[in-house]
Amino acid sequence: MLTKNGQNCGKIKKRGVNMSTFHSKKTIVWIQGITCNGDSHSFFNYPGMKNFAKNFDIVYHPLLLSDYSLDSILKSTQRFDYLIVEGSFTKVRDYIDRGGHSFEELIENLSKRVEYIICAGSCASFGGIFAQRDKQNITGALFRAEEEGGYWDKNKKVINIPGCPLHPKWLVDTLFMLKDGNTVLLDEYLRPKEEFSYLVHHGCLRNEYFEWKIDTKNFGEKEGCLFYEQGCRGPMTHANCNKILWNEVSSKTRAGSPCLGCTEPDFPRDNVYETKTLMSLPLAPYGISKRAYYTVTGIAKSFKIDRLEKKLIEGYNENN
Amino acid sequence: MKITKEIVERIEGEATLELEWQNKKISYAKIKFLNYRAIEDILKDKHMLDSLMITPRVCGICSHSHVTATINAIEDSYKNIGIELQLTDKAKYIRELVLNAEKIQNHIKWFYFLILPELFKINQGKFVNTEPFKDREWFEAQSAITNILKMGSIFSGQWPHGSYLMSGGVTCDPLQSDITNAKNLLFSVQEFCEERLYGCDIDEFLQIESMSDLMNFDLTLDTSVTIMKELEFNAIGKSYDRFISFGSYMNIAKPLKAIKTRVFNANIKFAKESLENSFFKDNKKGFTYSKSAVYKDDFYEVGPLARLMISKDPLIRDCHRRCSDSVISRIVARVKEIAILLKRSSFLLENIDIKEKSLKTPKFLPKNITSQGIGVVEAARGTLIHKIFVEDGKITKFDIIPPTVWNLGNGSPKKPSIAQKAIIGLDSIEKADFVFKSFDICSVCTTQ
Repeated sequence: MLTKNGQNCGKIKKRGVNMSTFHSKKTIVWIQGITCNGDSHSFFNYPGMKNFAKNFDIVYHPLLLSDYSLDSILKSTQRFDYLIVEGSFTKVRDYIDRGGHSFEELIENLSKRVEYIICAGSCASFGGIFAQRDKQNITGALFRAEEEGGYWDKNKKVINIPGCPLHPKWLVDTLFMLKDGNTVLLDEYLRPKEEFSYLVHHGCLRNEYFEWKIDTKNFGEKEGCLFYEQGCRGPMTHANCNKILWNEVSSKTRAGSPCLGCTEPDFPRDNVYETKTLMSLPLAPYGISKRAYYTVTGIAKSFKIDRLEKKLIEGYNENN
Repeated sequence: MKITKEIVERIEGEATLELEWQNKKISYAKIKFLNYRAIEDILKDKHMLDSLMITPRVCGICSHSHVTATINAIEDSYKNIGIELQLTDKAKYIRELVLNAEKIQNHIKWFYFLILPELFKINQGKFVNTEPFKDREWFEAQSAITNILKMGSIFSGQWPHGSYLMSGGVTCDPLQSDITNAKNLLFSVQEFCEERLYGCDIDEFLQIESMSDLMNFDLTLDTSVTIMKELEFNAIGKSYDRFISFGSYMNIAKPLKAIKTRVFNANIKFAKESLENSFFKDNKKGFTYSKSAVYKDDFYEVGPLARLMISKDPLIRDCHRRCSDSVISRIVARVKEIAILLKRSSFLLENIDIKEKSLKTPKFLPKNITSQGIGVVEAARGTLIHKIFVEDGKITKFDIIPPTVWNLGNGSPKKPSIAQKAIIGLDSIEKADFVFKSFDICSVCTTQ
């Protein structure tokens, strides 16, 4: 008999493939609401997958071969450690069908027999891009954009790992923290502080241009800051993208594209490639008073820094 | 008549096959996609450039294809008001390279995450070295996927959902060291394919013109073909033997179609979507959110097999001679395309001139545009078309025709669609399921 924490594990009907037990590993069931599968594909990019597989067992994932069908999981009484939910939450039957089941059936059935519910991505956390269709009925687990109260009003098991998509490290690092019994400190939107205390601005290679208020003249250049004209949300978006980098090599701002603020509950905003201004000034960065920011801006702007007006590497891009 | 419902799991999203049986054979199949996210509606009234943020979110596995189709549509809108944006070769090469990375990822993932596990299941475990999260080769495949996307992300910032495209070029401005890094990553993926998948170096593999020469390596590709032959899969999954591709592909820059091995010109104006059988036409009689795409009222297959039949690839032509448009041809074509894309990507990396401009900003502001445009791209699964309609810089209508509606729409019992025709006549659910998956289903794209 397979056992884990004294629970009987043998109750799920197997599909007939000989499979080792998962008693020494933490078990994960991954389900989807209204989604594009982007968080799954981001997760598949995790570079330490072997070590992940030593420590966790994905008992069910909609895109992967597993020994158990969704039906057999739902019919079992097995307890699992973590439920990962990708995609927006909804109670509207017509909006979603998962193997003949409504999203409500899935979530009500599974949420009661797990230790933690991890909302993978901005859709599951806040409603995300698909909530634009029907903001009333398409939400996150506990939030409707910035407002509290989503699919549930309360649920103490929920951890939000937003991002469109989420970074695979955010998910796996959180899973390891939970597995190892470490405290996972959460912010007001239930995001792990380890990752989301940083701003996208931190580690941005354009920081010096931000300091001296020099905007990029055009897209497609290494020089200049994208905050003043191109709509960059780096200074007000919580995420460590520019610390850990995407796909281990880059980020939106490093590829010359503005941060879209995808880890914040107000994602997606309108007119994202233009900076909203107030009296021709951009909004102040997160947690910086307007007075402090505009004073510094005024002073910084009054200087002309020759070095920063030039190309980073003179001699490149000369023949255009 | 018996009717069974088979829910097809482990694809991109989910689909249901409703099968009708007569004399123990499938007499008709309804292909149902029951999830719909209304992305075309979400795009309405948005600023034109916001579509570059929204359309990648159609699909997590082909987000770069969508954003590329969108930028092509936007640039076509400029062209239609007399402003032709001239891209540098650098911008063009980077766009193609990033797209190639996504396609290589898609094909390796499809083969290792879906096809091999299915073969393993059907063949009762005789093919054992690629079990997900367990076997070395699966981890190596996952690592190859990660590396090829890392290569693309050097230019696109991230995958999925990078947004490095802008009217007039690309937003990244790579250094020579970035190119070197990309070459290293590309090489590592090539090495994986040579050592595990093909059994010979890529140039040698690309020279192979016959299936018998392909079968000499005793590695993953030819072993899987052997297994499929033993299972007589060369006889299943045949459809109309008609192929089409509208986007530019390698040396082909114009829309072409093929009927068996004969190649003809095609014109995108004859490509249209039918709402027949969908909930959009009739909420009660309809049974799916998927539309169907047809060319002059006929169904044509899109995707790697179509592209390689049209470009007269010798190996695939030989495979087709032996196996027609069966699942084997579909699978071999897709795996062969990985090598073609790797080789092409290597050429692109050698030829990107970092001294050129990444982007030439159009002087005409997006907010002043009233126009319309079509964007076409050859995505992993075939031709993807975006149509944008813009008034004073705001989107009034957006139409997405994904590759999968060409292959996976529904026709009628008299005139079944590509996948329906491939399924009708089979004698087991298992085979129907495998044939269906040989098209590389993506339900999130299909219904958006």
